[in-house]
Amino acid sequence: MGLAILLGLFALLTFVGVPVAFALGMAAISAFFYEGLPLMIGFQRIVAGTSTFSLLAIPFFIFAGELMLHGGIAARLIRLASSAVGWMRGGLGQVNVFSSMLFGGISGSAVADVSALGSLLIPVMKEKGYDDAYAVNVTVTSSIAGIMIPPSHNMILYVVAAGGGMSVASLFMAGVVPGILMCVLLGLVARWIAIRHNFPTEPFAGVKVILVAFLASFPGLITAIIVVGGALSGVFTVTESGAIGAIYAVLITALVYRSLSLKDFWIAVIRSVRTTGMVMILVGCASAFGYMLALYEVPKVLAAGLTAISDNPIIIFLMMNLILLMLGMIMDMAALILICTPIFLPVAVSLGMDPIQFGIMLMMNLGLGLCTPPVGGCLFVGCAIGEVPIQRAVKSIWPFYLAILAALMLVTFVPAISMALPNWISG
Amino acid sequence: EWKGWNIHNTDYPVTVALESFIKEADKVTNGRVNGRVYNGAVLGSQSDSIQMLQVGAIQFAGFSLGPMGDAVPEVNVVSLPFIFKNLDHMHRVMDGSVGDKLSKAMEKKGIMSLAWYDGGARSFYNTSKPIQTPADVKGEKFRVMNNELYVGMIEALGGNATPMAYSEVYQSLKTGVVDGAENNWPSYDSSNHYEVATYYSLTQHLIIPECLCVSVAAWNRLSPADQVLVKKAARDSSQLQRKLWAKRDEESRKKVLAAGVKFNEIKDKKAFSDAMKPVYAKAVQDNPSLKSFIEQIQSVD
Amino acid sequence: MIFSSSKDPMMKRILDAIAYSVTAFSGVLLVVLVFSFGWLVFGRYVLNDTPTWVEQMAMLLVTSITFLAAAVGIHERTHLSVDMLSLCVPKRISVMFNVLIDICIFAFGWAMAVYGKELVDFAWFRSIPLLGIPEGIRYLPVVASGALMCLFSGCRVIVAIQHMFIGQSVSADSHSSDVNGDQ
Ligand code: NA
Ligand code: NA
Repeated sequence: MGLAILLGLFALLTFVGVPVAFALGMAAISAFFYEGLPLMIGFQRIVAGTSTFSLLAIPFFIFAGELMLHGGIAARLIRLASSAVGWMRGGLGQVNVFSSMLFGGISGSAVADVSALGSLLIPVMKEKGYDDAYAVNVTVTSSIAGIMIPPSHNMILYVVAAGGGMSVASLFMAGVVPGILMCVLLGLVARWIAIRHNFPTEPFAGVKVILVAFLASFPGLITAIIVVGGALSGVFTVTESGAIGAIYAVLITALVYRSLSLKDFWIAVIRSVRTTGMVMILVGCASAFGYMLALYEVPKVLAAGLTAISDNPIIIFLMMNLILLMLGMIMDMAALILICTPIFLPVAVSLGMDPIQFGIMLMMNLGLGLCTPPVGGCLFVGCAIGEVPIQRAVKSIWPFYLAILAALMLVTFVPAISMALPNWISG
Repeated sequence: EWKGWNIHNTDYPVTVALESFIKEADKVTNGRVNGRVYNGAVLGSQSDSIQMLQVGAIQFAGFSLGPMGDAVPEVNVVSLPFIFKNLDHMHRVMDGSVGDKLSKAMEKKGIMSLAWYDGGARSFYNTSKPIQTPADVKGEKFRVMNNELYVGMIEALGGNATPMAYSEVYQSLKTGVVDGAENNWPSYDSSNHYEVATYYSLTQHLIIPECLCVSVAAWNRLSPADQVLVKKAARDSSQLQRKLWAKRDEESRKKVLAAGVKFNEIKDKKAFSDAMKPVYAKAVQDNPSLKSFIEQIQSVD
Repeated sequence: MIFSSSKDPMMKRILDAIAYSVTAFSGVLLVVLVFSFGWLVFGRYVLNDTPTWVEQMAMLLVTSITFLAAAVGIHERTHLSVDMLSLCVPKRISVMFNVLIDICIFAFGWAMAVYGKELVDFAWFRSIPLLGIPEGIRYLPVVASGALMCLFSGCRVIVAIQHMFIGQSVSADSHSSDVNGDQ
C-alpha cells in the first residue's frame, strides 16, 4: 500500500503538471507519512541528497558551460567547425554535428548545447535555405554529444547513483568513442537527407582558415583538457577539476579573449544558479524517493522480476533499453538516472556487463529521451529557438532517432566500444 | 518491525553480527522484536542515521564511535590518537566503567548502546616509503576522516592533513592527489587501497570501537523482561563480531601481504604518541569533559 | 532574469524583486564556492597546507544555492514539468489545474519550512566537523526556501482566484519565455 501511494502519487502529480522534482518530493514525503516515519527525516533525506560531495562537480560544470557560451568560446568553436566541415553537402548540418562534439565536450550539458549552438546556428541555416525542421532536428539530436563526451555532469550523477566505487575518470574516457560514433552516424544521416533535399554547400575555406580558426578556439578547447586531463592525471580530483575548469574559463574569456564583460559574467552566474537549483533539487527529492524505494526493496523485487522473464542476456538488455527509452520519453534524465541505476545496474552486472559500459548505455538511452516528445528538454529548447512546432519537427526526425538507436545497440552489445579506451588508459 | 542501519556490505563482521542480533532477538522475544538490517548505507550516511535513530525513524544500527563524537561530544575521547594501548586494552576500557559512562552520555541523546563491537586498529599507509618515525610523515599529504582530532594528529606530525570523502581516496592515492591514508587491515583490503598505496606501517594510532545502538524510543517500548533478553542478544552478537573481526583482520593482513604490500612495525611508538600532546591539550581545551575520561582510560591497565 | 516593467501590478514587482535578490545572493555564493576550490588546490600544492574547511563549507554552500534557487524556480516557472495535460484541455480547465499545482507547491513549501525548522532545532547542538559550527545551519536554507515557495505560490493562487471572480484572464505569474532546462 505504501508503495502504491509512493508510485501512484508521483505519477498523478507529474501527470497533472506538478514539476517533476516536487512530484518526487511530495510522493516521498507522503510515503514517509503513511509509514509513520518522522517527516523531518524525509526532508533530511532531501538535504542529504543535495549535499553529497561528488555532486559538487555539477554546479562547476554548469558554470563552466555558461561561461563558454557567454564568453564567446561557443562562437569560436562554430567558426572552427564551419571551416573544417562546412564544404560538405548540407555543410551546415555537418557543422552543427561537429560543433556539438566540440562544445558538448566542454559544457557537459545537452540542453545548454542546444540553447548555445541552436541560437547561433539555426537562424543561419534557415537563412541559407535549409528546412527549419531539419535545422532543429540536427541541433537537437547531436546535442546528446554533450552527455557522452567528457566531462559530463550526468555521468557524475550516475556514479553517485551507483553507490560510488567507480572511477569517474574511467567513465569519462568510456564516453569518448560512443560519443564520436554517434556523431558520425548522425553526420551520415544529416548528409543523406541533405543530398535528397539538395541543401546548399559552403565553399571550402582553405587549410589556412581552418588553422586560424583552430588557433583562435584552442584556448577554449583547453578548458576540456584541464577538466578531463586534470582528473585523469591526478593533479586534481574530478570535483576540483570542475572548479579549476570554471576558473580557467573566467580567466581565458575575460583576459585573453576579452569577450567576457562583467555583465556577461553576471549573466553566466545567474543562469548557472538557476540551472543548479533545478538540477540539484531534483537530485535531492529523487534521493528521498529512492530512500522509500530502498525501504520497500523495489530494486530487489524488480530485478528478480526482470530475470524471471528470461535468462538470455540479449533479451534482458533489449528489454532494459526498451523500458529506459519509454521512461525517457516521459521523464527527465537526472531523475531517471537516480531512480533507475539502483534497479537495473545490479541486473546488468550479474549478466556480465561492466558498470562503466552500463553507464554509457544509460546515458545514450536517456539522452535520446531528451529529444523525444512529450517530455524532452532538448526538443523543447530546439523547437523554441527554431520557431518550429514540435509536431512538425518530430515528423521528420525519425532518421536521426534511428542513427542514435543504431549507436545504442552497438554500445549495448559491443563492450569494446565503451571499454577499450578506459582499459587502455588505466593499463 | 525494526529497521537497522549498517554501512558495511554483506558478510562483513558487523553485518553478520547485526543480522544475528536481530534474528536472535526475534527468537528470544517470540517475535515481539523483529526487523531487518539495511546494508551498504542505503538509508543514508552515519551522521544522518544517528539523527534518524534519535528520532526513532530507525530502531537499531551499528555505528562507529568516530562520527558519533559530533552528536555526543564525550565520545570524542575514543578518537584521540594512542588513547588505547592496544585492542585488549580497548576491550577492558569499554567493557568497564568508562564504557558505561559513555553509554550514559549517549543515552541522554536518545541513543542506547547495548554492546561494543571491534573496529580494529588504524595504521598509516602510503605510496612512497615506510613510515618509521614521525619525521617520515612530515610534508606528506595524508587523507583523514572529517574530525578535528584526526586533522590535528597529522598536523602534529608535520604532515598535510587532507579531509576527503572515502569514495575519492582510491583515485586520489593512485594519481597522487594524496600520498597516503590510514585505516585498519580489512578496510585497506576491501577498499583496494593496497593496490595503489603499498607501504603499510603498523602505527595503530587509532583504535575506534563501534557500537550496537538501539533507539531509546524503541527501547522504552520494550518490557523490562524483553530488555534483558535483547541486551543479552546484543552482548552475544558482540562476542560473535569480535571473533569474526579477529578472523577477518588476519585474513585481510595475509591477503594484502601476499599481494606484495611492504609492511613494517614501528620500533618507537612512544615518539608518535609523545607528539600527540598538543592534540590532547587542544581537545581538552575545546571540551573540558574529556579530561576525566582521558585520566580514567589511562588508569586502566 | 525577469525584469519588471512599470505597468506590472505592485505585487508582481515586489515578488520579482525578492526573486532577483535571492538569485543574486545565491550567485555570490556560487562564485565563492568556485573560488574556494581554487584556494583548496593552491593550498595543497603551493602552500602544502590543505585548507580543511573547504569541503564541508562547499557542501553548505551548494545546499544553500540549491534550496534558494529552487524556490526562485517556482516563481520563474523554470522547473521541468510534464504539461501534456494542460495542452489537451480547454484553457479554463488548465487554469484551474495551475491553481491546483500551486496549492500543492504551497503545501510542500509549508511542510518544508515547518520540518526544516525542526531540523534546525534538532541539529543545533551537533557540530559540523572541521567547521565547528552548528549542524543546524545546514537546514536554514530549507526553512527559507519553504517560506519563499509559500510566498510565490500563495500569491499566485490569490491572484488567480481574484481573476476567476472578476473574470479576467490575466495571470499573476511572470511568464518566463526563456526555457532553461539543463541536462
Ligand atoms: Na561533455
Ligand atoms: Na523525452
